[in-house]
Amino acid sequence: MSGAMPVAIGNYLALSSIIFFIGVAGVLLRRNPLIMLMSVELMWNAANLLFLAFARVWLNNAGHVFAFLVITVAAAEAAIGLAIIVTVFRTRANVDVDEVGALRG
Amino acid sequence: MIVLWWLVAIVLIATAVWTISARKPVYSVVALLTHFLALAVSYIMLSAEFLGVIQVVIYVGAILVLFVFVIALLSSGVGSFSVGPDKMKKAAWPAGIVTAIAFGLLAWKLGGAIASTPVTANISTVAGEAGAFGSVADFGKALFTTYLLPFEITAFVLMVAVIGVILLAGDQSVHAPSRERADRVAREMREAIVRGGEE
Amino acid sequence: MAIWLFPLLGALACWFLGPQLKSKSGWLACAAMLLSFVATLLSWRAGTQSVGGVLGVVQPLGISWIPGFDFGLMLDPLSLIWALIITGVGSLIHLYSVGYMHGDRAIARFFAYMNFFVFAMLTLVLSDNFVGLLIGWGLVGLASYFLIGFWFDRPSAVAAARKAFVINVVGDVGIMLAIFILFANLHSLSFSAVFAGAGGLSTGTLLAVCVFLFVGAAAKSAQVPLHTWLPDAMEGPTPVSALIHAATMVTAGVYLIARCAPLWSHSPDAQLLVGSIGGLTALVGAILGTAQWDIKRILAYSTMSQIGYMIMGVGVGAYEGGVAHFFTHAFFKAQLFLGSGLIIHALANEQDVRRMGGLRKKLPFAFVAMGTGVLAICGIPGFSGFFSKDMVIYGTLEHGHPWMYAVGILTAGITAYYMFRLLFVTFLGEYRGDVDPARLGIPATQTAAATVSHEDVHDRAPAWIMAVPVGILIVPSVLVGWLMFGGDGSPWSRLFAGQFVAAPGVAPAISETLTSSIVLVVVLAGIAVAVWRYATKAALSASIERLAGESLHMPAVLSNAFYVDAAIDAVLVRGSQLLGAFFGRILDPRAIDGAARGVAGSAEIFGGVVRSLQNGLLRSYALALVVGVACVIAYYALAGGAH
Repeated sequence: MSGAMPVAIGNYLALSSIIFFIGVAGVLLRRNPLIMLMSVELMWNAANLLFLAFARVWLNNAGHVFAFLVITVAAAEAAIGLAIIVTVFRTRANVDVDEVGALRG
Repeated sequence: MIVLWWLVAIVLIATAVWTISARKPVYSVVALLTHFLALAVSYIMLSAEFLGVIQVVIYVGAILVLFVFVIALLSSGVGSFSVGPDKMKKAAWPAGIVTAIAFGLLAWKLGGAIASTPVTANISTVAGEAGAFGSVADFGKALFTTYLLPFEITAFVLMVAVIGVILLAGDQSVHAPSRERADRVAREMREAIVRGGEE
Repeated sequence: MAIWLFPLLGALACWFLGPQLKSKSGWLACAAMLLSFVATLLSWRAGTQSVGGVLGVVQPLGISWIPGFDFGLMLDPLSLIWALIITGVGSLIHLYSVGYMHGDRAIARFFAYMNFFVFAMLTLVLSDNFVGLLIGWGLVGLASYFLIGFWFDRPSAVAAARKAFVINVVGDVGIMLAIFILFANLHSLSFSAVFAGAGGLSTGTLLAVCVFLFVGAAAKSAQVPLHTWLPDAMEGPTPVSALIHAATMVTAGVYLIARCAPLWSHSPDAQLLVGSIGGLTALVGAILGTAQWDIKRILAYSTMSQIGYMIMGVGVGAYEGGVAHFFTHAFFKAQLFLGSGLIIHALANEQDVRRMGGLRKKLPFAFVAMGTGVLAICGIPGFSGFFSKDMVIYGTLEHGHPWMYAVGILTAGITAYYMFRLLFVTFLGEYRGDVDPARLGIPATQTAAATVSHEDVHDRAPAWIMAVPVGILIVPSVLVGWLMFGGDGSPWSRLFAGQFVAAPGVAPAISETLTSSIVLVVVLAGIAVAVWRYATKAALSASIERLAGESLHMPAVLSNAFYVDAAIDAVLVRGSQLLGAFFGRILDPRAIDGAARGVAGSAEIFGGVVRSLQNGLLRSYALALVVGVACVIAYYALAGGAH
């Protein structure tokens, strides 16, 4: 790799946005909690991509560090999310988020 | 290089779409796996070698494995991943539209409008060179000096997560004795009050 | 100041010590009045002196209620004359009341109110500023309310008192508005300051001030159209009618206009208004007086008419004439009222003249008293009314108002007619007290007093205590007019020299002597008509049929007093009731309560909307999140907040 980036930054912006909003659509449109969590992971990663792209443009390490921290927190969050899913859906017939209506009212 | 980039881009988008629309969760996991690998490739294209490796190790190696375990756990439960009636059908499409509009605006407004500022750092970007941009040494130096505090806090966050997971999904029978004791004490107190009232 | 305070002390004593004093409170009240009268006489010199061009004497009270604004008492010829009447005639009436009200269970309260009234009236005439005058004005209205409604277990009395008070309040508002305008323009309310600066006010301002002041005067002095309270006010005891509604309170309007003469002399339009209304009132009062059957109501309308004369006089600028008529009228009207009181007392509270008759032989003293009073009021030469009335009538011509001149003369004729009618029907012929009221044309709805037979009337002749004041009053009502005899050289004119700025009078075509002659002719014509209708042999022998016929054929217009009461009722009373109903039944329930309920309703709707957000659906919450984020993105994208 030479100094300049071969691909323009605008491309990375578009790509990241598309992946991010695919993730949003997944969260809203699917009712399986596991799929929702995976969509959230998509969103994290889209952001990470962008961080690293800009870090490359400006040759600044902060992007790398932040992306690293994002990965860490994403892992923690995934763990806890899965634990919640297990707890809630362990004794249910349907693994459907719409059924968990105890917060209604 | 450009060709590679476009290839990776297509893979990323396709696998993302497959993830959210697969019928069975296991298929989604596989799609997500492919997505992460493609991301790792693009990270390396961005001279972020260390992070590319970390991506594979942690995301693929840990998180996805967790997902697989949970799928296994839940599918061995009472029912399979059956889905009840959709309660939100009416709002789904407006959501999609809102998403599309926002995405469109964002991409259009910002795409290409950001000028690259002149690079002032005098660091080498040649891959493999010691101390190059994105290498382990470079990253490590930044992490343990300038960004030490966030690093420590993140460690703390991880610890909290671990504790939370154990409490939430851990062995519930461990709490059973203390819970039984608490229930018993409460019952005895109630009876004592009732008896006192009668006398 | 002593003049002012004695009645106040008397009032307080009667009020608080009433239960102990009972009937002796009357003597206490009389004593207070006499002391006040004596004090007034002693102040004659001080009141009429002219020191350095300033007339009379001013006594500051040293009470600085509003900063920079001092109250004080003032005694100049104008207020002196009023004070003399108030305390002098007032004392005589108090003395009379001791006899008239004897046996009444609330006699102490009566005298407390009477003294309070005198105190209030003195406040009005002795103030040296508008605010003190207004205070006195209001207190006088209040005292009138107390006294008219004194027998408060009679609903008609209570209603009359309320009517009087409400109409008086209208007048109070008028004076207050005038005071506001004066203060806004001149920044002072003492008479001296206001009159000095009067010339500097614009014509419009001055006209407004005069009109508002006249509204107040018209209400208090029962001028058209604010006159309807006066006939009803006869519900009060006769001494009250004598004091308040003949001599003093109703003349407060005249005092006001005379006092503010400098204001009026700058506004010819206002003068025209006042004079016209005064003339109109005089005429209307006289016409209505011919149609009354209650002895006190006849006198009430005659009061209204005579005050119309006074107002007309001071309105056009004939101040000496107007005040002179006040002076003489006080004497003979009080005498008439007190005399009628003698009759009423003797006949056990019978007031309808149709049931009287022939009292000349039974109550000779009353006949003499009423007779002299009637002669005075008609302006028979030699009696006091003659001088003062002619001064007023001639004054209207002097100041260039020929129509008022004609009205004044005409009214004099009508006055003579109805006053002699009163005299003849009451005193001549045979006593009709034991005749069945229906035969006399008295409607069955009218409550008749107990029938007093022939013989009993004689035994009920008045006690000395009532007769003496009446007798004393005969003298001035006959003689006092001579003070005004002699044109500009008369004692009266000399008294008021310097008080009133003399407007240049045009020498009119008709001389004063000729005027007096015309008036005399008209008056004699009126008397002749009355004689022809009521006093001839034929009329007297058929008196019952004549009276019944007249009662039945009375034109409705007259018996309903030109429908003024009905008009006021229809417009103002019904109007207020409709307005109240509108607010109470429509506006309040629908608009105001509706607004309150609407607020509750909208809160309910809003709550319903918000409630639908809390539906327990995880995904809807997620949607909300996304929508919010989209909005933020849109904002930044569009507003260029990307820096």
